[in-house]
Amino acid sequence: MLNSARHPCVLSAARRNISAILFAVHRFLLAAIIAFAVISVPSTVWAAAWQEQSQTPAQIPAPAQAHPATPPVPQQTAPGQNPLPPPLHSGPTIVINPAHGGTDNGARGQNGQVEKDVVLIFARMLRSEFERQGYRVVMTRNDDSNPSYEDRAAVANGYRDAIFVSLHVSSTGKIGTARAYSYQFATPLAPANSADGSGTGALAGEQPTSARASGLIPWDQAQQPFMAASYRLADVLQAQLAQRFNGSPAISTRFAVRELRSVAAPAAAVELSSVSVGDPNILLAMGAPLAAAIVRGVQILRPVGSTSANSAAPAGAR
Amino acid sequence: MPRNLKITLAILSVAVVIGLISLRGLHQRIQNLSEAQSSEEEARRDLLKPTVSTPTDVLVQARMFWASGPDTLTPITVELPLSADPAQRGRQVLDALIANVPSDGERTLPADATVLGFYVLPDGTAIADFSDALASETPSGILSEEMAVNSIARTLENSVPILHRLKILIHGQEAETLAGHVDLTGFFDLNPQAAATPVPTPTRPSVAPGASTPSR
Repeated sequence: MLNSARHPCVLSAARRNISAILFAVHRFLLAAIIAFAVISVPSTVWAAAWQEQSQTPAQIPAPAQAHPATPPVPQQTAPGQNPLPPPLHSGPTIVINPAHGGTDNGARGQNGQVEKDVVLIFARMLRSEFERQGYRVVMTRNDDSNPSYEDRAAVANGYRDAIFVSLHVSSTGKIGTARAYSYQFATPLAPANSADGSGTGALAGEQPTSARASGLIPWDQAQQPFMAASYRLADVLQAQLAQRFNGSPAISTRFAVRELRSVAAPAAAVELSSVSVGDPNILLAMGAPLAAAIVRGVQILRPVGSTSANSAAPAGAR
Repeated sequence: MPRNLKITLAILSVAVVIGLISLRGLHQRIQNLSEAQSSEEEARRDLLKPTVSTPTDVLVQARMFWASGPDTLTPITVELPLSADPAQRGRQVLDALIANVPSDGERTLPADATVLGFYVLPDGTAIADFSDALASETPSGILSEEMAVNSIARTLENSVPILHRLKILIHGQEAETLAGHVDLTGFFDLNPQAAATPVPTPTRPSVAPGASTPSR
C-alpha cells in the first residue's frame, strides 16, 4: 500500500527532472550551433576569396591571346579591409605522370618487377627532387590506381603553366639507357587531296575548320599548339639523360605517344630501359640520376619563379 | 607420442607422398598440353599465312626494316615477288616482314601477327589491318612499339612509294594504342612527297582468305 501510494509522486518528480535536463541540453545545443555558424561563415568567405587568388586548376579564365604579357591588374581593397594574401607559388607546375597502374602493369620483368611500381617509385623520387628545388609538383597518381589518359591530361590542363613529364620503363632496349619523347602529329593532307574530298581532314583526325575558326582546340589535339615547346623540353631532357645514362641517344624522339596527345602544356615522356634487368636494385638505382637529369633539364628551360608565354597560351582545351 | 598424433602424421606423410607422385604426372601432362598447343599454333599460323600472288608479280629488291639491335632498325634488301597494284604490293611486303624475318633477334612484329587486309585510298592513305596478335604480343613499351610501327612504316614507304600515310587497324577496328603506348588513333607519315601524286586508280582491297572484312 505504501509503495503504490508513493509511486506516482516519484514518477512525476523524475519526469520533471528529465524534462528540465532535456530543455537545458536543447538550449545549449542551439547556442552552440549559432556560435559555430557565427565563427565559421567569415572564415569560409575568407578561404574562398583566397582560393580565387591562388592558382588553382580549371576555374581560372585564360587571358586573351592577344595580350599574353599583360601584367595582372592589382586588386583594389576597400579601406579598412585586410588585403588578401598573395599567391604562394609562381613559376611552372610540374605534373609528373607515373604511367600505368591498377590492373595495367605495363612492362613486366623476368624477376617480377612491373613497370607500374617502378615508375611510381621514380615519380616519388622525382617529386622530392623538384620540391627540393622549389617547384610546385602534382602527380597524376600516387597509388596503385590507373587514371585514364584523359584524366591524366586533365590534371595538367587544369594548370595555367604546367610542364607534363611522364615516366616509363620499357621491356626492351639496351639496359641503362633512357629516351625522351615528344608527341608527333601526322602531317595534314592538302585540302584537295584529302580522303573525303572535303578538305577538312576529318578522317585524319586533323583539326576541323570550324574549330580552327573558333580558336578552340579539340581535346584530342590539345598538344598541337605546344609541339614546339614539347620538342624543346624533350631535347633538353634527352641531353641531360645522355650525360647520365651512357649509350642513350643524343637527341629526343618524336613519336605518337598516346598519353601526351591531350596535354595542353609542354609534355614529354621519359622511358628507361628496362624491366628485364636481372637485379631489381640496379633498376631502382637509376631513379636518382633519372630524377637529377629531369630536374636539371626543366631548370634549364624554366627556372623556379620564371614565367612562360605558354602560361597564356591557347585555352581551348582547358 | 600420443596415438592420435601418430595417426595424423602417418596420414599426412601418405598424403605428401601421393601429392609428389601426382605432381610429377601433372607436370608431364602440362608439358604435353603446351607442346600440343604450340603445334596447333604453328598449324594455325601456316593456315593463315597468306601467299598473295597476282599476275603482275615481278621479282624486285625490297628493303625490309628489321631490328639490328635492341633499339635500332636496319634495312635489309631481299628479293620478293611484288605486285604492281599498290594494295596487293603493300600486303605482300607486310606478309614478308612478318614471315621472312632472318632470325628471331631481328623480329619487330610478333610471329603470330597476320595481315588481315590492306587498302589504299585515293589520297595515298594506306590502311593496314592486323590481327589481334599485333597488339597483344608486341612487348609493352614506347621503344618496342615505336620499333614495330617504324618497321611497318619504313618498309611500306620503301616498297610502295606512292603511299603518303599509314593507318593501323587491329582486327578491323581502330585501336587506341598498340600495346599501351603508341597512339593508333591517328596516322603515321610515310612519303611526304607522295601526297602530291594521287593514286592513279582506286584499288580493290586485298583481304586474306577467310579474314573478316573490316567494318569501315
